Amino acid sequence: MRMNLARLSMGAAGLVVSGVGVQLLLDVRDLPGVLVWLGGAVVLHDALIAPLVLLVGWALVRGGARGPVRGALLVAGALTAVALPVLLRPGRPANSSVLPLDYPRDWLLALVAVAAVAALVRAARWVRRGRRRPTRRALRNCSR
Amino acid sequence: MGDMRSRTFPPVFRGRLHDPRTATSIGRWLGLAFAVCFVTGLISHVLQHPPGWAADDLPSRPAWGYRLTQGLHVASGIAAIPLLLAKLWTVYPRLFAWPPVRSVRHALERLSVAVLVGAALFEVATGLLNTVQWYPWPFSFVPVHYAVAWLVTGSLLLHIAVKAPEIRAHWSRRSPGTTALPEEDGPDRRSLLAAVAAAVGAVTVTTVGQSFTPLKDLDLLAPRHPDHGPQGLPVNRTAVAAGVGAIPAERYRLTVAGPRPYTLTLDELRGLPQHEVELPIACVEGWSKSAHWTGARVVDLLELAGAPPHARVRVVSLQTRGGYRVSEMGHEHARDPLTLLALRLNGEELSPDHGYPVRLIAPNRPGVLQTKWVGRLEVLT
Repeated sequence: MRMNLARLSMGAAGLVVSGVGVQLLLDVRDLPGVLVWLGGAVVLHDALIAPLVLLVGWALVRGGARGPVRGALLVAGALTAVALPVLLRPGRPANSSVLPLDYPRDWLLALVAVAAVAALVRAARWVRRGRRRPTRRALRNCSR
Repeated sequence: MGDMRSRTFPPVFRGRLHDPRTATSIGRWLGLAFAVCFVTGLISHVLQHPPGWAADDLPSRPAWGYRLTQGLHVASGIAAIPLLLAKLWTVYPRLFAWPPVRSVRHALERLSVAVLVGAALFEVATGLLNTVQWYPWPFSFVPVHYAVAWLVTGSLLLHIAVKAPEIRAHWSRRSPGTTALPEEDGPDRRSLLAAVAAAVGAVTVTTVGQSFTPLKDLDLLAPRHPDHGPQGLPVNRTAVAAGVGAIPAERYRLTVAGPRPYTLTLDELRGLPQHEVELPIACVEGWSKSAHWTGARVVDLLELAGAPPHARVRVVSLQTRGGYRVSEMGHEHARDPLTLLALRLNGEELSPDHGYPVRLIAPNRPGVLQTKWVGRLEVLT
């Protein structure tokens, strides 16, 4: 019963806070523009980004890759998503302290680092497995 | 219309881990990131656009307050990007739930999720683009980002309330809902969650150096770097952009308007007791850097003008272009001994882009309100 009360008040708080947001949005000058961007974000994600990611995941699973390879792609994808604005921003920055770095180089560096870590993880697993197997065989030999 | 349920629609998802345990595990980290983002965003909003009731009592301490909260705001927003995408991936098959609407309640629930998804994607995308000063949309960034933040937070609270039983049933590895899921998914799920955690770590360490300077060497993808800028300090508006150019020292005058108004030349200002303080410039876009500033205390200038102790102060710039030409501060900031009209930065005269000859520097204050090229102080009564 107390749980239900907590749940109800949380839901009510959610409605009130959303209401504040709606109220604030109604005061915004270009509301249709905002709605287009809000809806556009959903469409872009649901119709393009998510299906693409699922397609890559499907190909990975078919290729038998999980674990480190999936992890590396996930990390690389996140780095790329965060880097898109610094990589693609058109026009000249306001001054030399805005976007001062060589972003294409840094982005590639980050991806190389991710690939290197993933390769290390795979190699470490392979070594561990390789070491474990002969041990097991040796144990079997002993017991024979 | 016949049976829409063809062989291709709705799609069937045979992939693993689109389950409530994965959604709960990622969701709570995402919820935490959004909570931090919302609270720090509110702090920033109040400091930059103080509502009447708060304007006179904004605290000037801790001196690093705004640096911390705004650094956290941008860092938690960036961390939310992989979390949000992973969360949406997990629940994506539910988009094709069949039948699409079962009842009024179900319809409302789906509508609230649509609002949550749209608003969440909108916030992280517009926030990230704002950090690179890229505005491809037709509306004004600040009021819309602020309004949609309330929408995200409200629909998130509502979502948690609606999903509470499911969240509870999948909270831990031993929760009843979790144990009912296929056991063989456990290791795979842990591997996925580890990868999401690694992604959050990767996007954080490659960007957080723009405000957390000990990690500046790992700052690969942030729009700012603490070492880039005139006198080793980034700037937002240059002297050229502000239309002030190089102000000749002999022509400069500081006017202090108050009960006993007066005017000072640059030499007279240099002749006042000089104080050195270490304070950060902390920008709303998330970057920040600490520096040593030398100049006259604003409180000393106010005393000379006979300002009452609780008076607000208006700081007016000589800039001719751009917003934030005028800033105001309450008595907490005006009377803080760390608040200076600075003449020097890290031992050198201010460069034009840092506000030569005189700029305001105050503790716990957003960068845009650290008025540069100060020509006038007004005691408000």
